[in-house]
Amino acid sequence: MKIPKNKKQQKKEEAGKINEMLGRIGQQLAQVADNSEDSSSDSDFEVVDNESLSEDEGSISESGMEQIEPSDNEDVVVSSDNDEDDDDDDDDDDIGSDGDGDGDGDGSEVDGGESDDSREVVEESDSSEDEVAPRNTVGSVPLEWYKDEEHIGYNLAGRKIKKKERQNKLDSFLASADDSKSWRKIYDEYNDEEVELTKEDTKLIRRLLEGKAPHADFDPYEPYVDFFAWDDSKHPLSNAPEPKRRFIPSKWESKKVLELVRAFRKGRIKFDDKPKEESNLYDVWADDSSLTERQGLTHIPAPKFKLPGHEESFNPSGEYILSQEEINAHQLLPEEDRPKLIPKQFMFYRSVPAYEKAVSESFGRCLDLYLCPRARKKRINIDPETLKPKLPSRKELRPYPKTCYLEYKGHKGPVTSVTTESTGQWIASGSNDGSVRVWEVETGRCLRVWDIGEPVQQVVWNPLPELPLLAIAAGQDVFILNTGLGSEEEQKKIEKLLCVETPTAPDDSDKNASFISWGPDDKHGGVRLKHFKTVTSIEWHRKGDYLSTLMPYDILSPNLNFIYLLIHTHLIRIGHCCEAFYYYLCFCSFLNSLKRESRSVLIHQLSKKLTQRIPYKLRGLPVSSAFHPIRSIFFISTKKDVRVYDLLKQKLIKKLEPGVREVSSIAIHPSGDNVIVGSKDGKLCWFDMDLSSQPYKVLKSHEKDINKVSFHRSYPLFCSCSDDCTAYVLHGKVYSDLNQNPLIVPLEILRGHASAEGRGVLDCKFHPRQPWLFTAGADSVIRLYCH
Amino acid sequence: MDIDGGVEESSRQVQVRFVTKLKPPYKTPPTSLAIPTNINRWRLSDIVNNILEAGVDDWQYQPFDIVIDGKFLRVSLEEFLLAKGISAERVIEIEYIKVVAPRREDISLHDDWVSAVDGSSDGYILTGCYDGLGRIWKDTGICTHILEGHTGPITSVCVIKPKVEGAFDQLVATASKDRALRLWKFDAGKSAQPKKIRAFRILKGHNAAVQSIAAQPSGEMVCSGSWDCAINLWQANGSDAGGDIVSAKKWKKGGGDEEPQSEGEAVSTLVGHTQCVSSVVWPQHETIYSASWDHSIRRWDVETGKDSLNMFCGKAFNCLDIGGESSTLIAAGGSDPIIRIWDPRKPGTYDPIFQLSGHNSWISSCKWHNKSWFHLVSASYDGKVMIWDLRTAFPLGVIDSHKNKVLCADWWKDDSVISGGVDSKLCISSGISVE
Repeated sequence: MKIPKNKKQQKKEEAGKINEMLGRIGQQLAQVADNSEDSSSDSDFEVVDNESLSEDEGSISESGMEQIEPSDNEDVVVSSDNDEDDDDDDDDDDIGSDGDGDGDGDGSEVDGGESDDSREVVEESDSSEDEVAPRNTVGSVPLEWYKDEEHIGYNLAGRKIKKKERQNKLDSFLASADDSKSWRKIYDEYNDEEVELTKEDTKLIRRLLEGKAPHADFDPYEPYVDFFAWDDSKHPLSNAPEPKRRFIPSKWESKKVLELVRAFRKGRIKFDDKPKEESNLYDVWADDSSLTERQGLTHIPAPKFKLPGHEESFNPSGEYILSQEEINAHQLLPEEDRPKLIPKQFMFYRSVPAYEKAVSESFGRCLDLYLCPRARKKRINIDPETLKPKLPSRKELRPYPKTCYLEYKGHKGPVTSVTTESTGQWIASGSNDGSVRVWEVETGRCLRVWDIGEPVQQVVWNPLPELPLLAIAAGQDVFILNTGLGSEEEQKKIEKLLCVETPTAPDDSDKNASFISWGPDDKHGGVRLKHFKTVTSIEWHRKGDYLSTLMPYDILSPNLNFIYLLIHTHLIRIGHCCEAFYYYLCFCSFLNSLKRESRSVLIHQLSKKLTQRIPYKLRGLPVSSAFHPIRSIFFISTKKDVRVYDLLKQKLIKKLEPGVREVSSIAIHPSGDNVIVGSKDGKLCWFDMDLSSQPYKVLKSHEKDINKVSFHRSYPLFCSCSDDCTAYVLHGKVYSDLNQNPLIVPLEILRGHASAEGRGVLDCKFHPRQPWLFTAGADSVIRLYCH
Repeated sequence: MDIDGGVEESSRQVQVRFVTKLKPPYKTPPTSLAIPTNINRWRLSDIVNNILEAGVDDWQYQPFDIVIDGKFLRVSLEEFLLAKGISAERVIEIEYIKVVAPRREDISLHDDWVSAVDGSSDGYILTGCYDGLGRIWKDTGICTHILEGHTGPITSVCVIKPKVEGAFDQLVATASKDRALRLWKFDAGKSAQPKKIRAFRILKGHNAAVQSIAAQPSGEMVCSGSWDCAINLWQANGSDAGGDIVSAKKWKKGGGDEEPQSEGEAVSTLVGHTQCVSSVVWPQHETIYSASWDHSIRRWDVETGKDSLNMFCGKAFNCLDIGGESSTLIAAGGSDPIIRIWDPRKPGTYDPIFQLSGHNSWISSCKWHNKSWFHLVSASYDGKVMIWDLRTAFPLGVIDSHKNKVLCADWWKDDSVISGGVDSKLCISSGISVE
C-alpha cells in the first residue's frame, strides 16, 4: 500500500523537476529568440526537418555553451537532488554504462546514469535522479564565487575539480556542426561538463510537453482497487434504524421548487436580461463635450456656476475682507457692476447665516436653464443693400419732372381733369365748378373759359394737331367744342366738321337713335351728344375721328324696370300660363340682347356723326377705356379686370387680371405692349401684354386711392396720382429686345397739392414733348412740374 | 480815425487801402488803414463815406459796393479773405464802386399782361401786351402811340435800327400769337393823346404762334421763331423792297382812310429745331442765334441757312441773348431758375462757364447790357428782376416791384431797367449805375 504512494510522490517530484527543467529550456528558447539567430543552426534546420523540438534543443545547447549564466533554478534542481548515498553507485554505473552507450564518449557519465535508470525502472526508480550524483560538492552556492578560481569545486574526496579548458567558440561551433548529436548536448555549469541527453530523456521531455505523465509506463487509468471492507461487520458502530427522511422525498424542497417554478412562470425571476444599474452619481464639473456631440453642433451648453473661491469661505483670509472705503466705493457703482458677494468672516461654521439670495438665485438659475434658448443661431450675414435690385441711379434717368414752377389758378372747384394739346402749347382742364378752361402752358394764362353748367368729368384734347377740338364729358352730355386755336383754314374745316343738323325726334325703332342724339350746342358752338346716363370717361382714338364714351350702366335701368313691371301686370291680368311663358321668354331674350351688346361703352364717329355699341358682353361696371396707340385694339377696364378687344375681328383677345380691389384707371404704353393699371387700394400694376395676364410688377406706393395713371408719349416715364396729395413719377423703360423685361425705377414723389374734401390729386398728364407733368388737384390748382 | 472802438479789441485787424476808379469827389487819399476783419460791406461803405466826408464839405451819403481782387464782397471781410486765401499780412486793396441799385422806380399800367419790352432805342420804350396792342412810351406813363392790329397777344417786339441814322420814321416789329408779324412805322414826335397807328406791313407765313422776333443789326431784315419749329427771315423794309414778294392790298375794314397795308412772305426759313423756337437773337449781320424748347441753342448762318453750332443742354429755353465779353457770350434761361452763360469760343466743351442762380422759378428773360461786359438783367416768374455782375455769384440788385410773374425785361438808356409782367405793369427802374 505504501509503495504506490511513494511511487506517486516520486513521480510528482520528477514531474516538478522536469517542469523546472522545461522552464529552463523555455527560458533558453526565449533567449535564443531574443538573440541574433546564428547561422550555425541553419544547417540543422536543413538536416532535421520533422523534429522541430530537437532542433530547438540543439540551438539551446549552443546558446547554453555560449552564455554561461548559471540560473538559480538549475542549482536548486541539482542541489535538491543531491544524494550522497548513491554517489558511489553512480560512479560505478558510469563506468559500466560505457559499454552499452551510444558510442559517444563525451557524455558517458550522464548516459550511464540514465541507462541505470532504465535498468532499474522495475523496482527502484525512485532514486533515478539522485543517482546522478554531482561530482561537485560545493553545495548550493553561487558559481560566481568560483569564477576567478581554477577549480569549480571539490569532489567527494575533497580534491579540487579543475575547470575544463574553454573551447574556442569557433572550434565548438565547428564541432557542433560536425557532430550530429550536438543538439542533445547540454552544458552543465555546476559540474562543468557537457551532458548528452539520451533518447529516453528526449522522449520524456516530449511526453511532458504533450502533457502526459513523464513515464511511459504510467497508466493514469488503471483500475481502482477498493481497499475498504464494505461488507457489514458483526458489530456496527450504531444500530439505529434508517431514518425516514433518508428515503422519502423532501416536502420542503418540493415546495421551494414549486415556488421557484411559479416565480419563473410569472416572470418574477429573470435570468439574463437584468438591466445594468447606472450609478446616479455623475461629475457635475466634468466637461460637457460628449453632451454637445449628442445635441448637435448648434447646442450651446448652459454656463456653469463659478466654483466657489477663497472669498466665499466662511472664514476667508484677511486680504479678502473689504475695508469700509471699498464697500462705500462699491455702493457708488451701478447695480450691475457691483460685486455680488462681499466676503465676511465668521469665527465658527455654525455662526454662518443662511444665504438670503439662495432661493432667488437658484430660481433664476432654473429659469435660465430651462427657458433660455441655447442654440447657436445660424445668422446669415448679408448686407441688405446687396439684396436690393440693382437699379440705375436717378441721375442717369434724367430728365424727369422734379420741381413745380408754374401753377394754373382760376378754377373755383376741384379740377377733375387736365389734358394737353398735342404740340404742348396749351392745356385744357375741367372742374367740378362746371367750367372748362384752356391755359397757355408757357405763362399760365387762361385763354378761354367755357361754363358748361354741370360738373365736368373729363376733358380730352383731340390728338390731331390740326383739329384743336375738346371733348368734354359733363353730366349726361358729351360736348365737342372748338377751341379756336387753329389757323383760319383749319377753323373752316372744323366748323364744317362740327356742323350738325338739329336732331330729329327720337325714333324708337332704331336702337342707336334711342339713346344717343347728336345735336348742335347752341351755347358754346359745338356738338352735343346726349347720353341717357352719366358719362364718366371719354377717350379719343389716335386718328382723332373716333371717340369712346363710358357710362357705368346697370342692366336693370329704370326703363327696363318699367318694361318688367308692364309685363308683370300684363301677366296678372291675362292669367294665362302659355302666354305668360311666351312673354317671359321675350323679356329674357331682350335682356340677353342687351347684355351681349354692352350699352355702357359707346364709340362715336365724328366725321359721320355715328354712334356704335361695342359688340361684346361686359361683366361689371366699366371704369376706364383706351385705344391701342398703334393697332385697332380697344381696352376696357371694369372694376375687376381689363379686357382687350380686337376691333377688326370683333373678339376678346385677352383678359388682364390685376388682382386689386378696384381698378380706377388704365394707361397704355406708346408702344402698345405694356399697360399700367391704377387701383383704388393704392396699387399700381404693370402688365406686359406679351408676358402674362398677371401683372409683371405691382407697386404698392400710394396710401390712398390712385386716381389716374399716365404714360409719357416719348420719354420713358409714367406716373400715378392719388388722393394722398402726391404724384409718383417712375421710370418705365421698355426694351425692343423681347428677352429683356421692362425696367421700372421709382424716381420722384411730387408733393404740393393740398387735400380738399378728402381728395388729393385728381388727374395727371405728361407734357407731350417735355418731361413735364401737369397735375390737377382737388385744391382747384393745376401744377406743372418741370425737370 | 476812430472806426469802432468796441469791436477792435475782440477781432483781428488788417491793413487796407481804399482805391477807386471813380471821379475826384469820390477819391480817397491813398493811405492805408487798420480795420477789424469782422465787418461787412455796409460797414466798409460807411468807412469810405466817413473818409470822403472829411474831405468834402457838403457830402451826401453814397452807398458803395466793395470789390476785392475783382470779386464783390458779399460776406464778412474775414470770411472772404479766408475763402479766397488772401493773406491778412499784406495791405489789402479795397476797391469801391457805386452800388447798383435803382434810385427811382416808375410804373406805367397796361390793360393786360405786358409780354414784351424793348428798350434798345433811347427815345422810347416799345412794349407788347396780351390785349394784342403794342405801345410806344415816351417816358413813364406817357404813351405816344398804340400799335393796333394784332388779333392775338403780342409775344415779342423789337426795334428795327434804321439803315440811315437820323431817319424821320422809326421802324418797329411785333410778333403775335395770331401767327403773324407786323411792321410799324411812326414818327417819334410828341403828341398829347396816344395815337393809334396801323401796321404798314403784315408778315404771314408761320403755322403757329410766333414766339420771338429779332432784327438784323443793319435793320434790313427781321427773323422770327415760332411754335411751328421754324425760324423765318423777312424783309423788314417794305417801302423800297421790290414788288415781287409784296402784294399790295387795301385794308377794307378800316374804311380806306388809312395808308395801305402790304402782306409779306418769308424770305427764307431755317429749319432744324424740333420744338417751339422760343427766342431768336440777331447780333451780327450773318449770324442768328436761336433757343428752343427742344433743349438746344443753335447758331445759324444766314447765307447758307445751316446751323453752325448746335449746343444741347437739358433744359427748355425761354430766352437767349448774346453779349458780354467781345459780344460773344451766350446767356440763356429757361425752365429752371438758373441762368447759364456759355462761351462758344471755348473748344470742345458745351459746359456753361457761369451759372447764375438766384431766382426761384423759370427765367423769362435775360439781356446783356450793351456797354458793359459784365452786366446782365434777368426776369423770372418768381416776380423778381435781377441785375447780375459776372464777377460775383450774387445778384447785384434785385428789383422787386412786380407782384406776379415778370415776363420781360430789358435795359434802357444804359442806366435803367424796364420790365413788364403779369401784373400789367411796366416798371422803369432808373438810376442804375453800371461802372
